[in-house]
Amino acid sequence: MTTDVLMDQSRSFNASFAAEPFRRHPLFAGAALCLVVLMAPTLFAMALDQRTFLDINVWIKPFKFQVALSIYLVTLAWFAGWLPARVTASLWHRIFSMIIVLAISAEMIWILGAAALGVASHFNNSSPLAIALYATMGVLAVVLTSAAPVYGIVILRDRTSRLDPVFRLSVGIGLIATFVLTVAAAGYMSGSGSHFVGGVHSDAGGLAPMGWARDGGDLRVAHFFATHAMHFIPVFGFIAGRLLPAGQGRVAVFAFAGLFVGLVAYTFAEALSGRAFLAMLS
Amino acid sequence: MESVYLDSVKISEVVVQPDDIFQICNVLAMAGWLALLVSPFFPKLADGVAALAIPVLLAVAYAGLILAFWSRAEGGFDTLPSVMQLFTQPEVALAGWIHYLAFDLFVGAWEVRTARAERIPFLIVIPCLALTFLFGPAGYLAFTALRAARAAIPATSHAGVAQ
Repeated sequence: MTTDVLMDQSRSFNASFAAEPFRRHPLFAGAALCLVVLMAPTLFAMALDQRTFLDINVWIKPFKFQVALSIYLVTLAWFAGWLPARVTASLWHRIFSMIIVLAISAEMIWILGAAALGVASHFNNSSPLAIALYATMGVLAVVLTSAAPVYGIVILRDRTSRLDPVFRLSVGIGLIATFVLTVAAAGYMSGSGSHFVGGVHSDAGGLAPMGWARDGGDLRVAHFFATHAMHFIPVFGFIAGRLLPAGQGRVAVFAFAGLFVGLVAYTFAEALSGRAFLAMLS
Repeated sequence: MESVYLDSVKISEVVVQPDDIFQICNVLAMAGWLALLVSPFFPKLADGVAALAIPVLLAVAYAGLILAFWSRAEGGFDTLPSVMQLFTQPEVALAGWIHYLAFDLFVGAWEVRTARAERIPFLIVIPCLALTFLFGPAGYLAFTALRAARAAIPATSHAGVAQ
């Protein structure tokens, strides 16, 4: 078995849990901490600023991106602990990590800047500069998401890994699925000019806590599940690896991944047809 | 199911007035200066409060104000009238005031730390702190003059002063 902290019950859980991402990938963990610190002035600005965009406070969007990107970075830092040492020590990995952090920084500055100016960041076609920025940020979004499949492939191909094989399979599939599904969902979304399909193009009265439209389709639902494949599938794989023999566990992971892709496809089709996610709750 | 976004819009409609923030920040800064005054008794605590905790809180308030109001402010840094125009917007003037509070306190804490490291008696640091509190750079100038004077005096006579 593995000596991973997740499975080691003897260690003091709280202290090691918070420090673990910093041990595994200091740059990603540090960048995540910077985003968390940035939440403080962003929330303060939210409390003071009366301006709204699509009927909600202009600072909600930067705050949501700070939450999402810090979760992404901490998850990557965690998975980095399962990369072979020769990879984490390599020059390409260091440069690649810096590129990821720079891409995330650029996205954050763009979104904060747009909020400060009270204008749209995504879907902003109001000027040549806004269009160029949106396109550039689209490319950088793909760049920052590419860390997931790169890690996934390296972890899948690492035959020396001490991880439980079923769990390792689920981590690899989850990371790759995050990239493929996110680029598909978000790529379609950016091409369609809005994430709303039908309904009032307003963020007010959305489904908590994400604010998804309740009066029409919202493509952000599919984007959300697509991006969280890197969480859902490994959590399933971790449980399957403990409960099932390796052969069955493997099959279960593939089956779950297939179902998960189906869920993303369903939420995508649901939004495209102009129906709200979990419409029965509205 | 009620959306949190509706709620947050409502929260943002409960107007946080610049005057309220001004008062809170003044009290915070005052607490930091009091910590410096009693620093000989609690050096570690005073340093944590006056050089870290309170400047960080003030910095969060400053950064939030700048995020929210800078893009709407008229004026700039290029000419004196431009700078004066910046300060005609209350939120920007408030940010400027918090800038003074945070950095003056930070410099005050540095003076206390430096004096402790260089064994400058705390009693003669107090006037420098008072000047830094009221007129920032003037206090820094006084403290720098004090250090220069002590550096110029031969080491043996320090003992004489102390006795």
